[in-house]
Amino acid sequence: MLWYKAWLETRSRFLISLLGMVILPCYLVFDENRGPKQYTPDDWYNHVFHNGHGLIVIMWLAAVILLMMGGLLREKANGTAAFTLALPVSRAHQMLVRILSGFGQTMTLAVVPCSAMYLVAITTGRDTPVSHALSHVVLLCAGGLVFFSVAVFSSSVVEGEYTAPAVAFGLLFADIAVLGQGRYQAYSIWKFMLGNEYLDRAPQPLTGIPWPHVAANVLIAVLLLAASIRAIQRREF
Amino acid sequence: MIDLPVIQTHRLCKSYGRTDAVRDLSLSVGAGRMTGFLGRNGAGKSTTIKMLTGMIRPTSGEGSVLGERIGDSEENVQLRRRVAYVSEDKRLYGYMTVAQMIRFTSGFYSDWRPDTAEFLRCKYELPADRKVKALSKGMRTKLALLLAIARQPALLILDEPSEGLDPVGVEQLLESLVTQCGEGTAVFFSSHQIEEVERIADQVCIVEQGRLLKDVSLDDIRQCYRRIDLVFPTQPHERDFRLEGVESVQTSGHQMRILASGNVNEVIERGHAFHASEVDVAPVSLREMFLSTIQENSHALV
Amino acid sequence: MLFKLTASTGQALYVQLTQQIRHATECGILKHGDQLPGIRTLAEELVISPNTVAKAYSELEHEGLLELRHGSGAFINLNRRTRSLMDHVESARRRAAELIEQLREDGLRDDEIRRVFEAELLSTRKAASRR
Repeated sequence: MLWYKAWLETRSRFLISLLGMVILPCYLVFDENRGPKQYTPDDWYNHVFHNGHGLIVIMWLAAVILLMMGGLLREKANGTAAFTLALPVSRAHQMLVRILSGFGQTMTLAVVPCSAMYLVAITTGRDTPVSHALSHVVLLCAGGLVFFSVAVFSSSVVEGEYTAPAVAFGLLFADIAVLGQGRYQAYSIWKFMLGNEYLDRAPQPLTGIPWPHVAANVLIAVLLLAASIRAIQRREF
Repeated sequence: MIDLPVIQTHRLCKSYGRTDAVRDLSLSVGAGRMTGFLGRNGAGKSTTIKMLTGMIRPTSGEGSVLGERIGDSEENVQLRRRVAYVSEDKRLYGYMTVAQMIRFTSGFYSDWRPDTAEFLRCKYELPADRKVKALSKGMRTKLALLLAIARQPALLILDEPSEGLDPVGVEQLLESLVTQCGEGTAVFFSSHQIEEVERIADQVCIVEQGRLLKDVSLDDIRQCYRRIDLVFPTQPHERDFRLEGVESVQTSGHQMRILASGNVNEVIERGHAFHASEVDVAPVSLREMFLSTIQENSHALV
Repeated sequence: MLFKLTASTGQALYVQLTQQIRHATECGILKHGDQLPGIRTLAEELVISPNTVAKAYSELEHEGLLELRHGSGAFINLNRRTRSLMDHVESARRRAAELIEQLREDGLRDDEIRRVFEAELLSTRKAASRR
C-alpha cells in the first residue's frame, strides 16, 4: 500500500518529466538533422548527440530533485505526518519504499529518454554507435545516483514544504557553477555525468569509463541514503 | 476485555530547552471506558498524546500503551495495529480521493471492516471520487474519523475530534464514539468542548502546565461535588473553611463560595458555627469544576 | 420509552436512568415482559457512555427488576418479588410524605429536610461499613 501511495503522490511529476525528457532531446536531434548545416561525423557526435545528452542530464537532475520532494518532513510541513506515523509500519520501511520507488522512476527517466533519443539518432543514418549511448546512460546513472541520494538526504533533514528541494537545487548550482568551472572539476558530479573527459571517439568507449569513480559514487550514494533513513528515525514530530 | 489500564504513564516528562511541556505526568486510563482529557491551550495535552503515539520521545519517565512500553525500540509497530489515532490536524493526503484513502488505509489493518467503512462514508456524505484537497474541513475531519473507526482497535485516541464540525457533525461524532466504546474500544479524547465531554465521558483527566491536576469520574462529580454558597454577617476567613474535601474557596465581601468534593455536611455545619445567614448547596457542572481547578492551581502557584 | 437525562442535576447519569426506569414500571409505562433496548443501542440513542447504561442495567438486574438475556436484550420483570419490593417503595414514599409534611410544619425548609435525610443516610452507611 505504501507503493500505491508513492505512485499516487509522484505520478504527475513523473509523467510530465518523462514526457518532457523524451520530447525535447528527440526534437533537438531531429531538428538538427533536418537543418541545413553539414555535420561531419565527429561534429554530429560532439555538437548534437552530446548536447542532447547534456540536455537530458540537466532535465534529469531537475526532475530527480522534484520527484524526491516528499517524505515525512514534507508531510510534517503540510500536516499529514501524524497520519502517516500512526500507520503500523516502521519509519525505515516507509523511507525504503519511497527511496526504491523514486529510484525506479529516476532510472526510467534516465533510460527511456536516452533510448528514445538514440532511436531518433539512428533514423538520421548518421554514425551513432550504441556503445556511446550506453556509456552516457552509465555515467548518467552512476553520477546521478549521488544526486538522487543528495535529494533524498535533503528531504530528510531540511524542514519545510519547498525548502528541501530549494537546498538541493542550491547544491546542484554550487556543483555546476563552482566545482564544475574551477580547479576541482574532477570532483564535480555534473562534469562526471556529462562525461566529456571519458567519452571520445575511441572504439571501445565503455572501457574509458572510470569504474573506480563509479564505485565511489555508488558508495557515497548508499551512505547518504543510510544517513537519510537514520535522520528520519531519530526525528521528533 | 482486558483489565489492565490501556494507557499508563509514570512521571512522564517532556522538556524543550528550558520549557517543560509535560511534567511528572502519571496517568492511568481504564480499559473499555471513555476518558476525557481536558486542559487549556498549551497545557500539554497534544504533547502527551504525541508521546503516547511515538511521534515524540519523552525526556524522562515511562509510559505504556496496551501494555507495551512507549519510546522503546524506534517504534511500536505492533502496537499501532491495535491503536487508532486521530490527530489534531486531521489532514490527509490531498492528492488521494476519498475512495483511495479508504483503500490505502484498509490495506494496513487486518481488523478493517469494509461494510462499516462504506456505511460511514454514506452516513457522513463523503463523495468517493472527490480529492481530499477539495474536501471542506468538516468533511476531512469525518474522513479522518472514518479511517479510525472502521477498524476495531482496542484503544482509540483522539486529539480535539470535534474541532471544525458543525452541531450535526458533533452529534454524529459522539454517537460514533459511543458505538466504538460499546464494542469494547477504550476511548481517550482531548477536547475543549466541556459539555460534550460531560455527556459521554466516564472519567475525566484535567491537565494544566504539563501536570495532572485531577483524575475523577463523572459519577463522582455529579454525586459528590457540590457548590456551597454562604453569606455571613461578618467577613469570613478562608482558612476556617479549608476542610478535607474542600477544593476551592472564594470570598467576596461577606459571601463565600466553596467547591467541595465531599464532606459537604461538615462544611455546612462549619458555616452554621460561624453564623451563616444563608446556605445554598448546588450541584457542580464539569465546566465549573474545571475552571475552579485551574484557578485554584494558579493561586497555589502564586 | 423516552428518557430525560440531565448532565448536571447532582445525580450520576446511571442513577437517573435507574430511577426513570423504576418510575416507569410504577406508573405502568413499562409493563412486565416489556423489552428495553440493549446496552449498546440505548447508549447510542441517548449518546451517553455504554458503561453508564451497563451500570444502570446491572443495578436493576441485581434488584430483580430487569432480566438481561444474552443476545436478546433486557426485559422488565415484575414478578412477585419485585412487585413486593415496589410495594415497599410505595409505602416508604407514603411514610416519607407524612414525615416531610410534619417537618415542614415544624418550620424546616426543603433543602434542610433533604440534608437531614442525606446526613442520616451517610452516617448509617458509615456505621454499617464499620461493622
